[in-house]
Amino acid sequence: MSTQVHATLTEQHVRAISEELGEPDWLLETRLDALEALETLPFPDVIQTPGRTWTDLSELDFEALVEPSTTADEKEREAPEEVDVLSFAQAVEDHEELLREQFGSVVDPQTNYLTALQTALFTSGTVIYVPDGVDAESVTIRTTMDSQSLFNYTLVVVEQSSSVTILERQETGADADSDSRYYSGIVELVAGENSYVQYGSLQDLSEDTYNYQLKRASTDTYANADWIDCNIGSRLTKTSVETTLAGEASESKIVGAFYGHNDQHFDVDSRVWHENEHTTADLVTRGVIDDDARSVYEGVQDVGSEAWNTNSYQRENTLMLSDESEADASPKLIINNHDTEASHSATVGQVDANDLFYMTSRGVSEHLAKNMLVSGFFVPVLDEIEVEELREDVNGRVQDRLQARS
Amino acid sequence: MSSEQDHLKETDTEARFGFKKEQNSAFETEKGLTEETIRLISDDKDEPDWMRDRRLRALRQFHEMPMPTDWPGQPDLTEVDIDEIVPYIRPDIDTRGGVDDWEELPEEIQDTFDKLGIPEAEKNALSGVGAQYESEIVYQNMQEQWEEKGVIFCDMDKAVQEHPDLVEEYFMTKCVPPSDNKFAALHGAVWSGGSFVYVPEDVTVEMPVQAYFRMNSEGMGQFEHTLIVAEKNSEVHYIEGCSAPQYSQFNLHSGCVEVFVKEGAHVQYSTVQNWSKNTYNLNTKRAITEKDATMEWVSGSMGSKATMLYPCTILKGPGATDNHITIAFAGEGQNIDTGAKVYHNAPNTKSTIESKSISKDGGRTNYRGLVHIADGAEDSSTSVECDALMFDNESTSDTMPYMEIEESKVDVAHEATVGKIGDEDVFYLQSRGLDDDDAKQMIVAGFIEPITEELPIEYAVELNRLIELEMEGSLG
Repeated sequence: MSTQVHATLTEQHVRAISEELGEPDWLLETRLDALEALETLPFPDVIQTPGRTWTDLSELDFEALVEPSTTADEKEREAPEEVDVLSFAQAVEDHEELLREQFGSVVDPQTNYLTALQTALFTSGTVIYVPDGVDAESVTIRTTMDSQSLFNYTLVVVEQSSSVTILERQETGADADSDSRYYSGIVELVAGENSYVQYGSLQDLSEDTYNYQLKRASTDTYANADWIDCNIGSRLTKTSVETTLAGEASESKIVGAFYGHNDQHFDVDSRVWHENEHTTADLVTRGVIDDDARSVYEGVQDVGSEAWNTNSYQRENTLMLSDESEADASPKLIINNHDTEASHSATVGQVDANDLFYMTSRGVSEHLAKNMLVSGFFVPVLDEIEVEELREDVNGRVQDRLQARS
Repeated sequence: MSSEQDHLKETDTEARFGFKKEQNSAFETEKGLTEETIRLISDDKDEPDWMRDRRLRALRQFHEMPMPTDWPGQPDLTEVDIDEIVPYIRPDIDTRGGVDDWEELPEEIQDTFDKLGIPEAEKNALSGVGAQYESEIVYQNMQEQWEEKGVIFCDMDKAVQEHPDLVEEYFMTKCVPPSDNKFAALHGAVWSGGSFVYVPEDVTVEMPVQAYFRMNSEGMGQFEHTLIVAEKNSEVHYIEGCSAPQYSQFNLHSGCVEVFVKEGAHVQYSTVQNWSKNTYNLNTKRAITEKDATMEWVSGSMGSKATMLYPCTILKGPGATDNHITIAFAGEGQNIDTGAKVYHNAPNTKSTIESKSISKDGGRTNYRGLVHIADGAEDSSTSVECDALMFDNESTSDTMPYMEIEESKVDVAHEATVGKIGDEDVFYLQSRGLDDDDAKQMIVAGFIEPITEELPIEYAVELNRLIELEMEGSLG
């Protein structure tokens, strides 16, 4: 896979962005290093089997998609008092020490071409800081994209023995007009000792948007980092939700849901690295695809040689509503410590014929019965969501999709 | 087992499989791979032009293709330098195509197969036997009753001479073309020996036929080709076994198996692979199944330094069925990367894949599998089950399945588990008076039982015995 370097992208763009945000030198340097690295970095890994590439990112014309000088978005941030939820510029002012310590600590800016591009160009961002011992209610962030391309950076730092639930939504503004856009998002989550975080997100971007996201958590001892990742919008999504279980006895749950229709393409990855003793992971993804949509799922449970007494589980279920759709799945186990209990399973199929027959025999029309079964299919995922608002939003979007079915 | 067969109970793998014979050959090529070498091999075999041309074409394809190096977690192949391999060694025997009496073989070859228990198995459980030593089949025999029914079981080289129409049609054309992968191309250029099996319509070969492949020389490559054509409603079970003595330099085994399962036919292909731990085992095996046909792959991979093997079934006709059963056992220094590939290209096709792996003393096992259900393959179903057992913390066990589903009216299920040998199970057995080693062996035997019960009893016993040998004395 060959990468393209932006001919139209210059150091001046990057300096201008950094200056605008009032950034210190070290951050500007990080951005410039990332810009320079574009030349050598590959695209994110995608699965290839004989004769097929599951998601072909090299076909995208990033040069045409990315317009670095005009990025615009609208942000709503709501937070309880005891938590700092700041715009990136504000965080540079108030929490430079924290930023300097944590920026890039979980996701290396030079992980791949797209993370480096994002690091060089991000203009929008949020920093969530939960101090020691705070038991916070929900934080909500809504990002509305109003430009052709947008790079959004989020850092979450949760200190010792704190807890917080976060809800993030990504949408496209009503008056933005363009026939293809690019959204890029990185979330770094630092879960301190004995902390609890649930980070839920709902991606509902317009269906002309190419969407790349990388969310990764790193856990300290006894920490618990949970992800809820819901994908409804976009033309093409490549998203990876990951946790490094670095601390002893830490835990992570990665819950995913997607509903693709028309010609949407979702490449959804869940990955967990067990790096310490007594860690537990649970990966659950449920998705529906309709029309010509295609889904690609990769799940990785990687158990390191020091991860004694590991428990690791993974389930992935895809429901195909149309014969033109395609579902690809690859749940992987990489086990280097024998003191492990690990399992995974994956299924692909239609709405269960027996269930459908049961419902229709009770007088429910086939159309309605099918819709009810699809709604029901998402229940195990919805049950994991702690923030009611997110649960309702996701369920609402599923219902919208079902209503739109002929 | 008779008393002469006592050596089969030998507890030392070295004595059982690792014995070496003096290297006696009538003809062998130089190391390395050039057009000249290919012509020499082809001339030595007195082959028709079309076969020589196919070899030369495959050689060109081999040189054009890159080594596979970018598969996630694949075995390291940097040591495999084709120019260090002696691709062709013809042992010093008079009869080409194999004698039909063990007594006629030179003593050291006869002794080799005696030690491996092949003549004994032939008497008891087989319809026919082929035995390959280095690059050539040295013994080939089949019971008369099958010959009378039109069954052909012969040396692949002999088939080129005696059944050119069949071979020209099926040999590396529609099933595994040399362009399939680098090692298939290599195979296409230097192949030698192997079996040709042809079963006519409506014939059921009741007892299995077996081929045994033995490499004796250091630094050689063995490239046998197996071609099985099972006509309408026929049935056959083919078993292959393989072994070699241990050398410090690497050996290469790159076989190719092509199976054509015609309408309503049933083919079972069983492999008990016990290559020495300096052997790279890089094979391509593929079957094409027509309407209502069944293909079964049963594989036990115990030996080799590195194995990359993914038997493939193309379910071409409606109602076709595939079963894969594999056991992989990786001990110290071994990397067994194996799995299955199934393409569902027609409606009502069904596949089941059952994989069991055991890793210990730093060995690595990997299940790598692909199931593809094409658009239009309605009412197809597939089920994949992988279980891995790990003995210690130095070992690795990976599972990498890939599923590509283009059809909605299907039933797809994949499941995998990884675990260690249960302390409670071991304790239970110890409290019944078994020692630690015996308890663990018993648990392993139970773990692989679903697979051994698919094999004829002689081979099930053999497989269990091999695993016992692998485990002996090294359990902590």
